[in-house]
Amino acid sequence: MSMTLVQVVVSGLLLGAVYALFSSGLTLIWGMMNVVNFAHGDFVMLGMYSAVMVWTALGGGPFAAVPIAAMMIATLGVASYFLLVRHIMKGPMLAQILGTFGLALFLRYAAFWTFGANFKTLPDTIVGGSFVLGGIRFEGSRVLAGVMGLAITLLLHLILTRTAIGSRMLAVSEDATAAQLMGIRPQRMQALAWAMAGAATGIAGALIANFFYTSPTVGETLAIVAFVTVSFGGFGSVLGALVAGLIIGVVESVSAYAIGPVYKDVVVYILFVLVLWFRPQGLMGKA
Amino acid sequence: MAGITRRTMAAATALVALGLAGNAAAQAPVKIGVVYPLSGNAASAGNYEKMAIEVGAEIVNDGNADLAKILPIAKGGGLAGLKGAKIQLVIADNQGTPAAGQNQTLRLITEEKVVAVIGAYQSGITLTASAIAERHGIPFVNPESVASNLTERGFKFFFRVTPVAADFAKAYSTFLKEQKAAGRKVDSIAIVHENTEYGNSVSSVIGEVFKTDGLNVTQKISYSANSTDVQPQVLQMKEKNPDVVIFISYTSDAILYTKTMKELNWKPAIMIADDAGFNDPAFVKSMAPLVEGLISRTSFAAGKPGSVAAICDALYKKKTNGDGLDDVSGRGLQGFLVLADAINRAGSTEPEKIRAALAATDLKKEAMVAGYDGVKFDAKGQNILASSIITQMRGGQYVPVWPKANATGEVALPYKGW
Amino acid sequence: MKRWLFWGALGVLVLAYPLLTADSAVYQRLGALVLLAAIGASAWNIVGGYAGQVSVGHAIFFGFGAYASVVVYTHFEWPPIAGAPIGMLLSVLVAAVIGVPTLRLSGHYFSMATIAVGELVRVLSSTSDYIGGAQGLGGPAMPRSVFDLSFLSAAPFYYIFLAVLVLLLGLTWWIERGRMGFYLRAIKDSERAARSLGVSAGRYKLYAYMLSGAFASLAGSLYLCMFGFVDPESGFGILISVKMVVMAALGGAGQLFGPLVGALILVPLEELSNSYLGGQGAGLTFVVYGAIIVIIARFLPSGLLSLLDRRKVRRAD
Repeated sequence: MSMTLVQVVVSGLLLGAVYALFSSGLTLIWGMMNVVNFAHGDFVMLGMYSAVMVWTALGGGPFAAVPIAAMMIATLGVASYFLLVRHIMKGPMLAQILGTFGLALFLRYAAFWTFGANFKTLPDTIVGGSFVLGGIRFEGSRVLAGVMGLAITLLLHLILTRTAIGSRMLAVSEDATAAQLMGIRPQRMQALAWAMAGAATGIAGALIANFFYTSPTVGETLAIVAFVTVSFGGFGSVLGALVAGLIIGVVESVSAYAIGPVYKDVVVYILFVLVLWFRPQGLMGKA
Repeated sequence: MAGITRRTMAAATALVALGLAGNAAAQAPVKIGVVYPLSGNAASAGNYEKMAIEVGAEIVNDGNADLAKILPIAKGGGLAGLKGAKIQLVIADNQGTPAAGQNQTLRLITEEKVVAVIGAYQSGITLTASAIAERHGIPFVNPESVASNLTERGFKFFFRVTPVAADFAKAYSTFLKEQKAAGRKVDSIAIVHENTEYGNSVSSVIGEVFKTDGLNVTQKISYSANSTDVQPQVLQMKEKNPDVVIFISYTSDAILYTKTMKELNWKPAIMIADDAGFNDPAFVKSMAPLVEGLISRTSFAAGKPGSVAAICDALYKKKTNGDGLDDVSGRGLQGFLVLADAINRAGSTEPEKIRAALAATDLKKEAMVAGYDGVKFDAKGQNILASSIITQMRGGQYVPVWPKANATGEVALPYKGW
Repeated sequence: MKRWLFWGALGVLVLAYPLLTADSAVYQRLGALVLLAAIGASAWNIVGGYAGQVSVGHAIFFGFGAYASVVVYTHFEWPPIAGAPIGMLLSVLVAAVIGVPTLRLSGHYFSMATIAVGELVRVLSSTSDYIGGAQGLGGPAMPRSVFDLSFLSAAPFYYIFLAVLVLLLGLTWWIERGRMGFYLRAIKDSERAARSLGVSAGRYKLYAYMLSGAFASLAGSLYLCMFGFVDPESGFGILISVKMVVMAALGGAGQLFGPLVGALILVPLEELSNSYLGGQGAGLTFVVYGAIIVIIARFLPSGLLSLLDRRKVRRAD
């Protein structure tokens, strides 16, 4: 196996871990309350802008940007829940698409109006340089994003499955009425889910901003990646999103290298449709 | 005595009334429609172009002493040919879709009653917007769209000021052959282009022209615009290690490629960027230190101080708080000045007269903002004197290096990068 | 008696609209744009509203229709509208091919699959030179005959679109009242229950999808006649799919006039806010647009026409 192919796979894995991170928020919401957030890409975008603002206003790097972005997008998530999502959940599934699409447009163009149309990038020097390990070249900011992506996704999974509050959240997702009868307040758990999803998404955005360009319309591209990752992994399963993200990252990377960049999307979409056909609930979703 | 006085009074009153009426008529502004992407993916370029055109309107309306020495239209006080009527820009957002572009152009023509339209950046939108202008008999000036079919429709009211892909390809071909003659290796050429209208059309034309001129294109990498990752593509190139790489990309991809090439530590001996993304001020601001020595094709270079280009650049910088004119905004301003000049010569706001004046345009090289040899339209509406300059990134700025007539510096190769 | 008066007056207004707006080309065109959007959204409504299968990839059919029209013009020099039946036939076939594997999926999964297929088609279309690749193809620059359907005034477009919409809504109404409508409602309510009662859910969902695709394709062909250009983004872009869904949902999916009501609100909103706010270039158009959609979704999750249902219920007391 040539060194270049190894490099391609490694870069695919790092990218995939990032896909997993910003998809984990989406799958959490989907699993908990059967809501698909069409504004998800724009949540990531706002996380990226948080990082940019932290740099330009405070001169802070990821250690400042990550917690701030987490808090800001968590707040945005909770606000979206109380002001919008809670109400559209009462309606048909279509209402979700309607409402969250409107939210996406609103957020995207509010960002456009506030920050302008120009692309912003964070300088290379914040998360510095690159290093060579075993013949493979690693870029600092991508490694940070990939490793943190992995860590936070796993953390999210552990919180959901191993802690008391996690099991309360899962109870609400299984049967909200029954959970209520047991003394759990569904709205609180759902709001908490939005907060956690928001935080994960904000962190993802802040990390991506170090090596990807930031602009108001970047959410469009990222949203589709997130949807595919989440459906592939199975709705509700954070671990599924992780595995799916890694697979998609590698498939994309290798197809781009072997066949040609334009076709990498084609390969991913075809793979996606095939998986849905043979295993409709995704890799790790509930049947 | 009384009779003469009364007659004189009547005559005097009539004269005054005529004078006032004449002045009132001259004060009615000349409305020009401006259609550009002010939202959506191309909003950055669209906004810069809008500002460039606004600078143009200010030059005509308020005047500029330095420019007025070279350009009569910069004397100020509006359009002299229309008794000092000022230009009023009516600006519309084409939202990046052909439908919105056409709808807005219709509104500008039928509701705002503009006398001419300038626009629209994306070739597909220019196609639909100019089609409706043609149907209504309103002149449409296009400063920057490069699709070849735009001038193949047999339109009478469509005028394209910019060079097209075939011209760029010829410029590159001549430049590279000169480098070869000077002893540099130009045996393998890779073209990396984004997969939408711009990237595809330019890359295929470059491929054809290079083939006829005996230059060897060894790799053609087509990628989806707005990719999240380009490492595989750069690795592909690192493997094959071509002597020359030509990029045809928009801003976001330009940023991504530059970063990735540094990450993977690879640079070709000659790196060329076909304008667009690599000339965007947003790119230059953030990435310039990483692309020292990058060769670019542009139609604008600030050039020698005291030239039309340099003065306009300074005016524009004031408006944008520091960003200079680039290829797109420079061409936008040039297109506007061509239109303003034509309306001035027509001496009327009648569309047919403006059309005739446009068709008769003959502007000389000295009067150019853009680096053209002049402006003269053929029967299809294409400016046959449009041309390109090749520049090189030096210390955060693009410096013209070719052809010799426009050059302010020597070509420095190989490519340094970071 | 009052109801007939109301509908009669409305009918006259609708028919006379282009004459009433004869001195404003922009408002005349707006009417035509509303009707064109309503055709697309009403086509979607058949499978998305009545059958409850939320497809977010209907741009596939719209794009097929637009491309079929422009291809017959570019390669055979036929009038673009001649491509409409070809586009419709192709769309029905493509709907069958896509529908068989994807309609087995439920809820969100079906939607995601349609998004993926839609994007797939868009990316692939940019690689084919026969259909113009990424540059797209243009229709007749100047009309060669009346059959090219390229009119200066928007009035002929208005009446053509109106005729197609009336046909489509009539067809939808007839289906709604018939057995297929009954089956689709049953499937939408509970597919499992419907199956257990002997309804071949798979077959009827597929019929709905195919019919829906055919008319979305017709909308695409008509779009091409009016605007004269299509490329992968304007033919197959995801925004086209989403707009069809949003329009139907805003008005009331599964209601006959829901998509039309949605179009009546959203199309003028988009056009007029762009005209008044767009020039500043701050994207305010979409901030307003997005905010209004959010507000309607928040207070009327089942769409605007659900307001009428509430009034009917109150009157019944």
